Amino acid sequence: MRENHLKILQYVTGIGLFFLVGGYHLLLMHLGKGDPESWSSVAQRAASAGWLTIYILILIFGIYHGLHGVRGLILELSLPNRAVKVLNWSIVLIGLAVFGYAVYIPIQAF
Amino acid sequence: MEAASKTKTTLPNRLGIKGWAWAGRYKIERYLYTLHRLTGFGLLAYVALHLVANGSRLWGEGGWESTMNFLSNPGFKVGEYLVMAAFIYHALNGGRLMLQHLGFTLGKPKPPVYPYVDAMRRRRPLTLALLALIMGLAIYVLVAFIIYR
Repeated sequence: MRENHLKILQYVTGIGLFFLVGGYHLLLMHLGKGDPESWSSVAQRAASAGWLTIYILILIFGIYHGLHGVRGLILELSLPNRAVKVLNWSIVLIGLAVFGYAVYIPIQAF
Repeated sequence: MEAASKTKTTLPNRLGIKGWAWAGRYKIERYLYTLHRLTGFGLLAYVALHLVANGSRLWGEGGWESTMNFLSNPGFKVGEYLVMAAFIYHALNGGRLMLQHLGFTLGKPKPPVYPYVDAMRRRRPLTLALLALIMGLAIYVLVAFIIYR
């Protein structure tokens, strides 16, 4: 049952990423004005609560979707139970570390 | 018998990773599945690179601008296009897999009358239509890349 819930979350985050990343790309590359990669644009977006919310949602959904996908691939190798536990904890720790690093950048930079 | 059925057993994956590339006579859906994994790995690699590049914000405006200059070479631009194409493929094929896993696109069960046609083959036109859509979007993005960059 637990695996089913994790799989449903995988679907939900996948759908969420499709709309969030698609919408983000559309807003930034097609509807936005100026160079989205310039320092002033980046600083402006980092100071906006709306953009930060989108970034953090993309980050959470992306980390879960990516790491759960990798976990599924590794589990196909028929690992013993102990290795599965180590894998699960490693995935959680990697996810938290990536999230911490990615959130630290905008907080520290501006 | 009951005790044996309660024991958690795992079937060995005898082919391992080699099974991704070849495990017999594959149909198109299996190759799409393999490509789904490869594009997933590609997108993960891009996210890692993206986070590292974003880290250059910590060095201030100079660090950011020099990183952007470094990433503006043609090799990275081609890579950017491949990331977009991988995103389109991974998202649309992911939607197809999701609908299949949840049973929406499998159709109703039919009695096994010769010549046997399984649910996947009956739904092949949907897969082909999806592939056409992916190709169309990938070409559109390529044209947009060439025009706007």
